[in-house]
Amino acid sequence: MSRRDQPCPGDPRVEEWCAAALTLLDGWGSSRLCALLDRSSPAEAWAAVVGRHPDAVTDLPERLAEQCRSAGLGVVWRGSPSYPSVLTLDPRPPAVLFTRGDLSLLGGRRVAIVGTRNATSAGRFAATELGRRLGSAGVHVVSGLARGIDGCAHRGVLEAESPGRPIGVVASGLDVPYPRQNAGLWQQVGEQGLLLSEYAPGLEPLTYRFPARNRIVAALSEVVVVVESRAKGGSLITVNEAVERGVPVMAVPGATVNRAADGTNLLLRDGATPVLDADDILDALSLDHSRETTRRVDLRTRPFPIDMAVYRRIVESPASLDQLVACDGRPLPEVAMSIARLEMRGWVAGVDGWWETTGDTLR
Amino acid sequence: MLATIRSATLLGVEGRAICVEVHLSDATLPGFQMVGLPDEVCRGAHARARAAVLSSRLVWPNVRITVNLAPSDQRKVGSALDLPIAIGILVATEVIPPEAVDGLAFIGELGLDGSLRPVAGVAPLVAALRPTTPVVPVGSAREAHGVAGEAVKVASSLHQLVGILAGREPWPPIPDEVWDLDEPVIPDLADVRGQPAARTGLEIAAAGGHHLLLVGPPGSGKTMLAQRMPGLLPTLDAETSLESTMIHSAAGVRLPSGGLVRYAPFRAPHHSSSMVSLIGGGSTFMRPGEASIAHGGVLFLDEMGEFTPQVLDALRQPLEEGVIRVARARAHATLPARFLLIGATNPCPCGGGAPGSCECDDGARQRYLRRLSGPLLDRFDLRVGVQRPSVDELLSPGGGEPTASVRQRVMAARARSIARNGMLNAQIPASALDALAPVDTSGAALLRAQLEADLLTGRGYHRVRRVARTIADLVGADTVGEEHVAAALQLRVRLGVSRRAA
Repeated sequence: MSRRDQPCPGDPRVEEWCAAALTLLDGWGSSRLCALLDRSSPAEAWAAVVGRHPDAVTDLPERLAEQCRSAGLGVVWRGSPSYPSVLTLDPRPPAVLFTRGDLSLLGGRRVAIVGTRNATSAGRFAATELGRRLGSAGVHVVSGLARGIDGCAHRGVLEAESPGRPIGVVASGLDVPYPRQNAGLWQQVGEQGLLLSEYAPGLEPLTYRFPARNRIVAALSEVVVVVESRAKGGSLITVNEAVERGVPVMAVPGATVNRAADGTNLLLRDGATPVLDADDILDALSLDHSRETTRRVDLRTRPFPIDMAVYRRIVESPASLDQLVACDGRPLPEVAMSIARLEMRGWVAGVDGWWETTGDTLR
Repeated sequence: MLATIRSATLLGVEGRAICVEVHLSDATLPGFQMVGLPDEVCRGAHARARAAVLSSRLVWPNVRITVNLAPSDQRKVGSALDLPIAIGILVATEVIPPEAVDGLAFIGELGLDGSLRPVAGVAPLVAALRPTTPVVPVGSAREAHGVAGEAVKVASSLHQLVGILAGREPWPPIPDEVWDLDEPVIPDLADVRGQPAARTGLEIAAAGGHHLLLVGPPGSGKTMLAQRMPGLLPTLDAETSLESTMIHSAAGVRLPSGGLVRYAPFRAPHHSSSMVSLIGGGSTFMRPGEASIAHGGVLFLDEMGEFTPQVLDALRQPLEEGVIRVARARAHATLPARFLLIGATNPCPCGGGAPGSCECDDGARQRYLRRLSGPLLDRFDLRVGVQRPSVDELLSPGGGEPTASVRQRVMAARARSIARNGMLNAQIPASALDALAPVDTSGAALLRAQLEADLLTGRGYHRVRRVARTIADLVGADTVGEEHVAAALQLRVRLGVSRRAA
């Protein structure tokens, strides 16, 4: 590299590129980078690194700048004016964050909704509802954009076109949507909310990046709500990070037979605050929720009395056709009729031979 | 110094009549030469025939022996030609008078001690030789008898056979064991506890000829259920019975006493089965595969997702046409393969269970379903969820409904559908559904609602209608009603992630 190509410290654009380039240094974790950036600006740090390694790829900042520009990404680093203040005092803050969307959302009220990827339909429904209610109360919802609970929470927020917005923290480059089925949601969150990642564009979602992502979810949130987690689920990493930072942890209770709720039920036993309703979360944020009067009207036709035995059995726990026939006592074609009517009216849904309730449970 | 003996060789499940010509010449050096495309096994006839002739205290001519297997452009396989070659030499040396072998054909392998050993494929071989009287080893008597009846002649050794043909001995009677008609032991449905859905699925599959996929975790009794299916199927009709006998014989599967396959076969090949073992073929004589052996009965594929995709794909032709056409460079064969397919699979690699209990990660689950999905999955009219029976059901005294009473309903429903359609309900073409399987107003409304809600595909729609027709036949209803449609829908489990899946 000739002298005139040397990055010029002080130019904010150049600082940005150099900060991005620093994240790609082998063996430099976020804590080491933070320490470095606390002492010097990104451009100085980059120049020092390049100076020590003459064979380094020196056009990295320019290449990354081009990638960020084409993907519409911003870069903030520890020490830059736009670095989120919530992260300044964090015990293990990210050194550099790639962003897309509105960074000012981090100045609002923020609640994380996290949970298992293999959720039951009850869990997905709870996550969607919580997301919707929090969103309409003006609370931003932080989540990981994973399959299952994470995705549902954000869909709920977006559904309501509410003042609350989705904030997604992901474990890959912001131009590498994962899981692919959530690519549409990913795009929407970037446009209508905020997407954050510690990883430079093009980086794959490697296993070790998920726990690191979870720590940022916890660090950005005032409350962490877990909707369904397995006894050893990844959501519990988020919970541990939250506990370490003194962020309150709340959990949605599940049936004891539901393996997908083992982790959340354990959290409740250990003293997490139960969430039965979005109001519980708003309480924890000391937000006023008495004005929330827009109860949704259930437009579904009520089940026939003859179908209620089948419906109550499914409400109890997800049931197979065999179990429904066994508990109902009527012959299979009649039970099948009941299931068909309940399904067409939107009270139950089936997958892999099991029937679950959908939407609000009829009491 | 010339003799011509009739025999037959096997191609696929068909026999081909051939002539074994033996020529003796003392004009050149002694020796033995066989021409006419014999395979490696067939070539061994020289050594076996020579030893057998000598062991029978007869003379092996010390001259030039030429054996021609005519027509000479067709491949001859197996050891069934040992006997005709030996007989040909004995006729040519005038140990046996030439007129003694007129109207007879010979099939059999020779032991070095002169004994006659059974060979595979005697049934199709004998069939190909009609109206000639076949002479077969005693051990093959039941196969030959199933096809040729009383005309069959048997012998137990070359020595005995020469005695008979020389007029010194009478033909021995066909052994009695041919006549004991034993019924196969098929496990009874009474052993199955609970599982109303799977029971209903079996009953409908048997009544309408619908292929059945059992979806459930390990240990839920999928195999147990499938094994009870043959008991619900009718005995084979005369034509199918003969075809099935030929196939069993050609594949070397032991035939029941009486020599005819009369009960629906049940075949359960392991998921590591190769293409050739399942479909048939091979380089020598187009041996029929498991799919053909199941002809007229049940082919059960346990752990369907574990079969290689190529093998599963190859099943599409028999499922559509009822036959397998195998072509090789030298020959091609058409193997009958009309069977009821029962597949069994876990819903995902971990075995699944109630929602929320699956431990599989995203990718693994999708990969698993992808192996199952596709054209083959579409061929199943019935996809029934099977769960482990509850403890109460397992411990409850007394069993479920026995096979015999279910079978009565199945037979009645089959008779109804045949009388109306001329075929089983599973075979009704989509264009004839409105005429043969009309649905009443409320049933049509339910189907419409399912289609509109995107819960049913176009292809699924026709399948549900056929199954609903069978359900109506089982209860003796003329029109397909709402409850029949609803039951058919319940017996078509949706696989994969739910519609609300995130």
